[in-house]
Amino acid sequence: MKNEPVDVLIVGAGASGAAIAWSLLETRMRILCLEQGPHLADKDFPSRDDDYELSRFGKFSCDPNVRGLKQDYPINADDSCIMPVNFNAVGGSTINFLGHWPRMKPSDFKTKTLDGVADDWPVDYATLSPFYDMNDQTTGVSGLAGNPAYPKYSPPLPPIPIGKLGQTLAKGFNEMGWHWWPSDVSILSEDYDGRQKCVNAGTCDLGCAAGAKGGTNFTYWPMLENAGVELRTECRVREITVDQDTGMATGVIYHGSDGQVHEQKAELVIVACNGVGTPRLLLNSKSKIFPDGLANRSGMVGKNLMFHPLTGVTGVFDEPMKGHEGPMACSILSQEFYETDATRGFVRGYGLHSGRSTTPMTYALGGFGIDNPIPWGDEHRDVMDNVYPYIAGLTVVAEDLPEEHNCVTLDPNLTDSDGISAPKITYRLGENSRKILKHGEERAKEILLAAGANKVLSKGDDAVWWRAGWHQMGTCRMGDDPSRSVVNGWGRSHDVKNLFIVDGSIFVTAGAVNPTSTIQALALYVGDSIKTNIETLFD
Amino acid sequence: MDELIPANEKAGVPAAGALGVADFLPAATPYAIDPVQSITEVLKAVDDKIPDFAKLVRTDKIALLKDVETRHVVDFATLVRLTYMGYYSRSDVRPMFGVGAHPVQPKGYDVARESNELMDSLTAPVRARGQVFRDV
Ligand SMILES: Cc1cc2nc3c(=O)[nH]c(=O)nc-3n(C[C@H](O)[C@H](O)[C@H](O)COP(=O)(O)OP(=O)(O)OC[C@H]3O[C@@H](n4cnc5c(N)ncnc54)[C@H](O)[C@@H]3O)c2cc1C
Ligand code: SF4
Repeated sequence: MKNEPVDVLIVGAGASGAAIAWSLLETRMRILCLEQGPHLADKDFPSRDDDYELSRFGKFSCDPNVRGLKQDYPINADDSCIMPVNFNAVGGSTINFLGHWPRMKPSDFKTKTLDGVADDWPVDYATLSPFYDMNDQTTGVSGLAGNPAYPKYSPPLPPIPIGKLGQTLAKGFNEMGWHWWPSDVSILSEDYDGRQKCVNAGTCDLGCAAGAKGGTNFTYWPMLENAGVELRTECRVREITVDQDTGMATGVIYHGSDGQVHEQKAELVIVACNGVGTPRLLLNSKSKIFPDGLANRSGMVGKNLMFHPLTGVTGVFDEPMKGHEGPMACSILSQEFYETDATRGFVRGYGLHSGRSTTPMTYALGGFGIDNPIPWGDEHRDVMDNVYPYIAGLTVVAEDLPEEHNCVTLDPNLTDSDGISAPKITYRLGENSRKILKHGEERAKEILLAAGANKVLSKGDDAVWWRAGWHQMGTCRMGDDPSRSVVNGWGRSHDVKNLFIVDGSIFVTAGAVNPTSTIQALALYVGDSIKTNIETLFD
Repeated sequence: MDELIPANEKAGVPAAGALGVADFLPAATPYAIDPVQSITEVLKAVDDKIPDFAKLVRTDKIALLKDVETRHVVDFATLVRLTYMGYYSRSDVRPMFGVGAHPVQPKGYDVARESNELMDSLTAPVRARGQVFRDV
């Protein structure tokens, strides 16, 4: 089935797809976005149900293999110690993300020059800075200005409450003389732009029915649809098509909500399918001139997969910490150990995040991102009565380095509900990341004790959190050298001049912060570069 | 079930069996591949060992369950998981752990924002130490 051609075709309506659509609005080009998931209404979010927690282990799990919905693609992670997680709907993974919003730092873009590892990015912090600001305004970001861990900027809204838990931990950091700051969050601390402020429900991963969290389903998409961007939902792109003579992308083939296979022509194709979905789509788009997958002459499509490996330490305090009240991931963040210090025995570093705790069922089942239930019997009673209400924890978020053997490939057997090959993840924890986590775990214990914990609990093994592949980066890296990278310094494929990539797959390094603020700033930057270079876009 | 999540009588927290969590298990198909099969396997293993489990003293019950757990790892783990789910998904249980009985939306929780003075005094030592990022 054929459809009328469009100027710009965006695949994926998540964080990055929405941001670039917004950037390109002013060009008045005809923009179409194809999204494999549905548009969920507020009433579809489980936080309005009595048994809301159950959905975290069923249809609202962050693990697509658990959800197993028609719009999900399965992921084979048998050869990985971390399971990539996501959400497939309008808003993408910002439906169930936690809204923690730190920026990357100037040094993150220059790791080769500064530390002799990985590669420098072809863009830098100063270039992205105005796009971070722009995105913060559109999204509605809360935080406290004056953080000495960053060059100067001001979040548009005051910080959300850090709560008893945050205040307690802050005292611990102060006791140690280490950096901490209230977290920047894409969660409204005040009513903003027609949206309601956060009611501290504490289940941000179940979709924010208040609309306070900065998912693009609440921020960008209502504006975009009003402005005439066409959003076709339940449309899964199977393949990007290419003119075999010119080597230019001609559009896509997709499975529509009507059950039919469609052809959609476009002048410009932008891929925004996240760090696993994007290489999967390119690898599925093989042709005579791209036998190893589209835009893959460098062989780098799918390579250098980076996560943020995590571990956590929990302190048990004398008073209830009320950790379930307030946005889940966001209270305070320490970046004391973010930058390289050669005396520590590793390069780069980590953040110490104080998420809040969670609701009783999730805790009993092992906690968010983990999956080892607490013991049954008398020990269960003891943990739930004497530990659970009193906990405050710190999560060590490590910077992963790019390593080519960590990768996304196509699984030879597994397919999604449309019969399209599913991704397979091969990932093992690098030695540097392992050392970072160990160091972080020790420092976290010290802080918790300094903050007054009467007991400190850690997992006590070497394993990182399993269901914590929230951040997927590096699999179509940016670079100036076409033999070592997939896209150039402003997101355009080296091999296919009218193909752009805007999600976390274009990251060169991972930093040690949640990526979405940077993903969207980059998408806005790519959009801006398209506009600036419009006359010579395909040269 | 009462042995998986026992009661805290002093605090008025009921055990899982007494609360009727068993009713949750057969319908738990979204959360386990075949809950009925797993539960039947565990019950059969208990029954094979000792047909009158209910009559055992508590320490013997626990010893027996631990034995079944080691011999039926997956099914027992499924039973434990589903018991936790059935128990803690109940709105009358959550308040016993300090969490609201209500669905979290739209009411949420009242959490006061720290005053500017409090935030200023908490962050003062951090600001005093100055820049902690590298100039590039
Ligand atoms: C549980 C959880 C918690 C998180 N917490 C945080 C946090 O606190 N802070 C933070 O910065 N980040 C967080 N993240 C990560 C954040 O959600 C992602 O970084 C961000 O959403 C990535 O944006 P994206 O545009 O690359 O991909 P997504 O937002 O995932 O969007 C990709 C979209 O593409 C669609 N798609 C994929 N393939 C196809 C296809 N073939 N055809 C059509 N459509 C397709 C998908 O359905 C999806 O909607 C979290 C993620 C999860 C899952
Ligand atoms: S805590 Fe705030 S942001 Fe999170 S779901 Fe509740 S209202 Fe939304």
